[in-house]
Amino acid sequence: MNPKRILPLTLIAAAVLSACSSMPVNNSLLDEARRDYGEAQASPGVATLAAGELRQAGTSLDAANGAFAKGEEKARIDHLAYVAKQQVAIARETAAQKEAELAVASAGRERDAVRLEARTKEARLAQADAANAQRQSEAAMRSADASQRNAEASRLSAQDARMRAAAEGQAARNAMIDAQVARQQSLDAEGRAQQLEAQLRDLEAKKTERGLVITLGDVLFDTNQSQLRSGGVRSVRKLADFFSQYPQRTVMIEGFTDSVGGDSANQQLSERRADSVRTALVGMGVGSERITWRGYGEAYPIAGNDTPAGRQLNRRVEMVVSDESGRAIAPR
Amino acid sequence: MNTTLRPPNPRTLLAIAAASLAVAGCASVPAPTEQMAVSKSAIANAASAGGGEYASIEMRSAQDKMDRANAALAKEDFESARWLAEEAQVDARLAEKKAQSAKARKAALVMNEDLRVLREEINRKSP
Repeated sequence: MNPKRILPLTLIAAAVLSACSSMPVNNSLLDEARRDYGEAQASPGVATLAAGELRQAGTSLDAANGAFAKGEEKARIDHLAYVAKQQVAIARETAAQKEAELAVASAGRERDAVRLEARTKEARLAQADAANAQRQSEAAMRSADASQRNAEASRLSAQDARMRAAAEGQAARNAMIDAQVARQQSLDAEGRAQQLEAQLRDLEAKKTERGLVITLGDVLFDTNQSQLRSGGVRSVRKLADFFSQYPQRTVMIEGFTDSVGGDSANQQLSERRADSVRTALVGMGVGSERITWRGYGEAYPIAGNDTPAGRQLNRRVEMVVSDESGRAIAPR
Repeated sequence: MNTTLRPPNPRTLLAIAAASLAVAGCASVPAPTEQMAVSKSAIANAASAGGGEYASIEMRSAQDKMDRANAALAKEDFESARWLAEEAQVDARLAEKKAQSAKARKAALVMNEDLRVLREEINRKSP
């Protein structure tokens, strides 16, 4: 055979053969789909969070692979590969969506926890504040308590009048009258306070830590006797008047002597003198429950016992008057 | 009248067989009515999920393939119509998923930012 005729024949045969088999060596779209699917399968997020979608993509890929193996037409293989590739992408997006949703949920839980913690902290602070305020208000109440009751009462009624005036508006005049009354009361209270001061001045009372102390000197008693002289009786009467005006107050009567004489004699004398003052006060109408008394003998001298003048000062009876609260005076 | 049937010419038989084969080839692919409806609703779902905003390429592709599927259906090219509709369906489904995952990621970002701000605020308030 002529070799010149062989070549075209071979070419024709090759062309016919290739047309017949029509089996391509590879398909780029199918390769892409296979690669994407492999990657998605290897990704733990996609495999667990989008297992269903990935399985669907796998089924489509099997169909594409089957069509390719059977040598079906390229358009059909491309179509099946395209569907598989898009389904892999769907699986990947599904996994991303679920991951983000899980992140949202966990951030939400964390936010709730943080808020709860903050609220607990705030509540604790508020409690501490409240306790602080309570302490402050208690302190304020104590100090208010300590101030004069009369003054407080008048101040309160003045305040009351002011509040009424503000609330009622048209009753302003009434409120003014009330205020005047309150002012008058305040003046009255002031007047009473002045009166008290004058009386105490009269009695030569001294303000001490224990209370008001009124001292009845030796000259008001007969020598070595417990009987009050008339001058002493006058002083005791003033005190009795004072007690009748201030029924809340109580008194502690304390007797003292100088250092001359025996201890027991001095002790007895101091007790008798204190008791004699107590008896006089009771006789003038002061309730005995308001009076306590004690003798101290030669203890607690207020002057030196080495001079007659000093000894005279030491021979005395002291009356310690309580404040308005009527709290009993503690013994020395 | 001659009523005897003559056996047909072998050539005629061959022609009939070829014709019936061609017709069967056409008829073996029914109209993809159901697939068309499924794809159409997938596109509608993707659009309402925000596919146009978050996955415009997939959305356009899905719409384009649906248009071509309708054209193929009109020409009674049922196989092309089915393939195009199937591709439109996966495109639309991908667009929908992309929109949903983008929204979820955005929500996660916002949430984490909120959390950070809240923490900062609390730390500032309580030394």
